[in-house]
Amino acid sequence: MALSKHAIEEIKALPQRFPEIRSAVVPALDIAQEELGYLTPEAMSEVASLLQVDPGYVEGVATFYTLFHLEPVGEHHFYVCTNLSCMLRGAEEICEHIRRRIGVSREREISADGRFSYEEVECLGACEFAPMMRYAHAYHYELTPEKIDALIEAARSARPASARAGVIDRPESQEAEQGHGR
Amino acid sequence: MAGETRASLAPDDLRGSHGPARHHLLTSLFGTPDLHRLAVYREHGGYRSLEKALKEMTPDQIHAEVKASGLRGRGGAGFPTGTKWSFIPKDVPGPRYVVVNFDEAEPGTCKDRYLVEHSPHLLLEGACIAQYAIGSHQAWIYIRGEYDRPYRMLVEAIEELRQAGILGPRPFGVDYPLDVQLYRGHGAYICGEETALLESLEGKRAQPRSRPPFPAVKGAWGRPTLLNNVETLANLPWIVDHGGAEYAGFGVERSRGTRLLSVSGNVQRPGVYEVELGVTFRHVIMELAGGPPPGRRVKAFWPGGSSAPVLPESMLDVSTDLDELARVGSMGGSGGVIVMDDSHCVVKAARRLIRFYAHESCGKCTPCRVGTNWAERTFERILRGEGTVADLQILDHVQDALQNGRCLCGLGDSAGWVIMSTMKHFREEYEAHALRNQCLAGECNVQRVGAHA
Ligand SMILES: Cc1cc2nc3c(=O)[nH]c(=O)nc-3n(C[C@H](O)[C@H](O)[C@H](O)COP(=O)(O)O)c2cc1C
Ligand code: FES
Repeated sequence: MALSKHAIEEIKALPQRFPEIRSAVVPALDIAQEELGYLTPEAMSEVASLLQVDPGYVEGVATFYTLFHLEPVGEHHFYVCTNLSCMLRGAEEICEHIRRRIGVSREREISADGRFSYEEVECLGACEFAPMMRYAHAYHYELTPEKIDALIEAARSARPASARAGVIDRPESQEAEQGHGR
Repeated sequence: MAGETRASLAPDDLRGSHGPARHHLLTSLFGTPDLHRLAVYREHGGYRSLEKALKEMTPDQIHAEVKASGLRGRGGAGFPTGTKWSFIPKDVPGPRYVVVNFDEAEPGTCKDRYLVEHSPHLLLEGACIAQYAIGSHQAWIYIRGEYDRPYRMLVEAIEELRQAGILGPRPFGVDYPLDVQLYRGHGAYICGEETALLESLEGKRAQPRSRPPFPAVKGAWGRPTLLNNVETLANLPWIVDHGGAEYAGFGVERSRGTRLLSVSGNVQRPGVYEVELGVTFRHVIMELAGGPPPGRRVKAFWPGGSSAPVLPESMLDVSTDLDELARVGSMGGSGGVIVMDDSHCVVKAARRLIRFYAHESCGKCTPCRVGTNWAERTFERILRGEGTVADLQILDHVQDALQNGRCLCGLGDSAGWVIMSTMKHFREEYEAHALRNQCLAGECNVQRVGAHA
């Protein structure tokens, strides 16, 4: 998979924002991941050549930061916080429920229909709304099995690939609004 | 949510202090409809402090007010802000930066998010005052990558400021260019550590630098840099408006002013509360946050994020004064108050936190990388019911090996303190798990207390 023309333009425009070019590496990887869903080796070397930095350097950065996926994830990927405040309010049960509902046995496994996966993450800084998760660029608060079911239902009936339209600054998606509306 | 602007909040998001109160220096306007809009913020006196600073005060005068306020950093270490500012060299030509630490990844901490979601301009005004005070024309806000809504809100707020000319070459007609840029993190706790943050901002793997040189002298892109937490900077508009002495009229001894505490875990009203420093944790946990669920008791609380050594229920009357917390063997840390009730197991909680530190260790220094990993495996053994006396000895040994400056940054100490403090106050729970395969809280899936094998 190669980057679109639009993404390439965006990446090329990045360096001028920073005193040094290396600062553009992470934002560039971000653009690539938004478009492709995960960072393929080709995408990383494309980023490297667009920014004229060493491909090994780009890979070293990509592997350091946990928000970068080096393998495919589901089109709908849930980042569920399982750190202490969320754990004390039922995060483990939420993860178990998600596994059952999307039919996977562990985190980062992709559901049979290819559309869902989940990941257990560290504190997301919304502990007053525990248990919570990040999904489709929005926070979802005070999770219950019913709320999870509703989100999965909505995702199943949505048109495929809708969750990943556009790049980082794209307008608010439907899911994002729902996340804060509860 | 139809009809609402994309950045606005649902009323239910106000889980904490808002509205006027004597001690609401940061949060008195929170809850005002559309406070995130520049026009509304200005209607309520917003940016008056920045204008005053630029037009009526010298940088030295601002610095003097900050010193007089007694303000200490709200990011974790509690370092006096006025003193930190004085480390910035005055005579070095070329650019210098204000870097805002909005990484907020300390478990149990959500106050900076609360602050920015309610009043992004409060932070931006503080960041502008700081630029002027240290002779900088550029602030960078390092915001954790998962904070989508705060990011969007800051993007919009910065755009409003550019249009109003407050960011630009001549804010309020004064010949002092100001600018703020955003940089998004990508999910690594270590990025909150100030030197790792700078590495990350420079596009590198976020591994702490050895100090000296300190960021004040050689910070972002090798330039003099002032690095402060979101809440620290958000206090500046109030201090410039009212003066440092009035700020110092709040709080106690060496802990002046107010601070935001995010209270989470087993309480009935989790939320972010602004308190005058010196109130007790009993007030914070039992009154403001409503105490544990009915029928439950507080077992333990982490007073300042997961990195602050845990305290048992018997210490609820300890105060939020940073020095008192240090005296009882803990710390004010990030202001994240995590409350655990008596239905939960301390060993399991400690295991979860150790897994966090092991996962987030950047791997650069050996004691941290090896120590956290070793500790995690020991916890797994104990909780699987395979623990022995030797495992408790390993934990005793590892907690010590992680502490006292053996690691490059504070992450190792934090992991050590989790083990040390939970073992100190709840040794019997460890022994029950490790030696008798019993969970005294009845939470873990092992042979229960009193049950026959
Ligand atoms: C592992 C580690 C993580 C940290 N995370 C944060 C953080 O998320 N936010 C923050 O403001 N400070 C954090 N700190 C503290 C910073 O290093 C630094 O002391 C602080 O941002 C300085 O700002 P202040 O003086 O205004 O508190 C962390 C420190 C360590 C050792
Ligand atoms: S512990 Fe889950 S958001 Fe903080």
